[in-house]
Amino acid sequence: MTVLILTSEQDVTADMVVAELNRLGVPVMRLDPADIPGKAKLSADYAHGDFDGHLSVHGHVLSMGGLRSVWVRRPGEPAAHAPEPSAWLTAETKQALYGMLYSASTAWMNHPGNAEQARHKPWQLRLAHYSDFAVPPTIFTTAPRLAQQFAETYRDVVVKSASGPPPDDPEAALPTTLIGPDADFSTVAAGPALLQRYVPKRADIRLTCVGERQFAARKRSAPGQVDGRYGETGHPWEAVPVPDRIAKSALEYLSLSGLAYAAFDFAEDEEGVWWFLECNQGGQFGFVELETQQPIAEAVALWLSWRRTDRRVPTPPWLPGDRG
Amino acid sequence: MRPFTLNFVRPRALPTVVEPYSYDASLQLNILGDGRPAVADRDLLLAVGTTTSTAGSATHFDD
Repeated sequence: MTVLILTSEQDVTADMVVAELNRLGVPVMRLDPADIPGKAKLSADYAHGDFDGHLSVHGHVLSMGGLRSVWVRRPGEPAAHAPEPSAWLTAETKQALYGMLYSASTAWMNHPGNAEQARHKPWQLRLAHYSDFAVPPTIFTTAPRLAQQFAETYRDVVVKSASGPPPDDPEAALPTTLIGPDADFSTVAAGPALLQRYVPKRADIRLTCVGERQFAARKRSAPGQVDGRYGETGHPWEAVPVPDRIAKSALEYLSLSGLAYAAFDFAEDEEGVWWFLECNQGGQFGFVELETQQPIAEAVALWLSWRRTDRRVPTPPWLPGDRG
Repeated sequence: MRPFTLNFVRPRALPTVVEPYSYDASLQLNILGDGRPAVADRDLLLAVGTTTSTAGSATHFDD
C-alpha cells in the first residue's frame, strides 16, 4: 500500500516526510499534477461495474487499489508544465486526476473539498467560535461607513488580506498592517476589506496539528511587531506545551472542518491568552521542525502510513443535519 | 478605484538564493552536490529559507 504525495519537486519540506516514510519502509510515490500530461501519466477505467486506475512517473507505478493515502502538499496546477498549457487542458487534467483519486477509497490529508472550504477566512472565524477559541472582533465589509465605525469602536485595528498578495505581482507583499480610525476608508467600497481588532502581542504561536497530535511553537515578538512573518526579531521558534483548553479547541476545529492537518496561528497577548488569527490547512511546518526539533514530519508520515480499517472519506460534520 | 486593502502593499525583495540541491527522480528526494539528501543538512535548509512560511507565500497563500 503506497502513500501518494502531490507536490512540486522543489518542495524540501515534503522531502522530510519522504525520508521518514523511507525509514518506516512505507512505499511512496511523489507526483506533481503539473507534470500531467507529460512525464507523469494516468489512466483510469470504469467498466463492468468496476474501477481501476494507475499513475506513473519516473518509473514509479501506483495502482488505485494499492493507494493507502494522499497528502496534498504543494501540488502544481494540473497540466501547468504541458508543452501547450491552457485553462481547458488544466480543467480536463484536473477532472481526470482528482476524479480518479476520488474514485479510490483512501485517506486524505487534506481532502481537496475540505481544504477549499477551510481556506476561507470568514468561515475560519466562525469555526473558531464553534471551537471555543478566543477570536478578535473582525469585520469583512465593502461599506466604508461600517469600516469607519469598526475602527472608531476598536481604535487600533489591523487590515489584512484574506487571500494573500496579488498573485500576478511576485514582488508585492501584503503584510498585516496596523491602522487607526483616521484612515480614509472610502476605497473600502472598491473591494472587501478585512479589519480586525489589533492584539498587542508578546509572541506569535504556531500550533501544528497532525490528526490528534499537536505541536506548539512560540516566537517572541519584537516590540510593536504586527505581522510575525515579516521582520527579523532575533528570537527563535521554541517548543512550548499546548494548554489543555487550546488542545481541546483545536481538536474540535479539526473535527468540524474535516481536516487531518492544520497549522494554526495565534497572537499571545500580555496576559498569555492565545488569540486565534487563522488556520492554514496547508501551513508550512518545515521551519518549525528545523528550529524546534519537534518531530512533525514523522507525525505526518505515521498518519499517512496508518492502516485504516475504514478508509472512506468521512462526511464533513458541518453538512445539514450533522451539527445537531 | 484601488481597493482599500491594496493601499498596504509593500515591495518585496525577491529571494536571490540559489537552491543548493536538485531533484533526484529515482530517490524522490532533493540531493546536495555531495550526493547526500538535502534533508540531511538541516542547518543548510534553515539558511536557505525554503521551508519558511513567507517563502511559500509566493506560490501558495495558505502557509
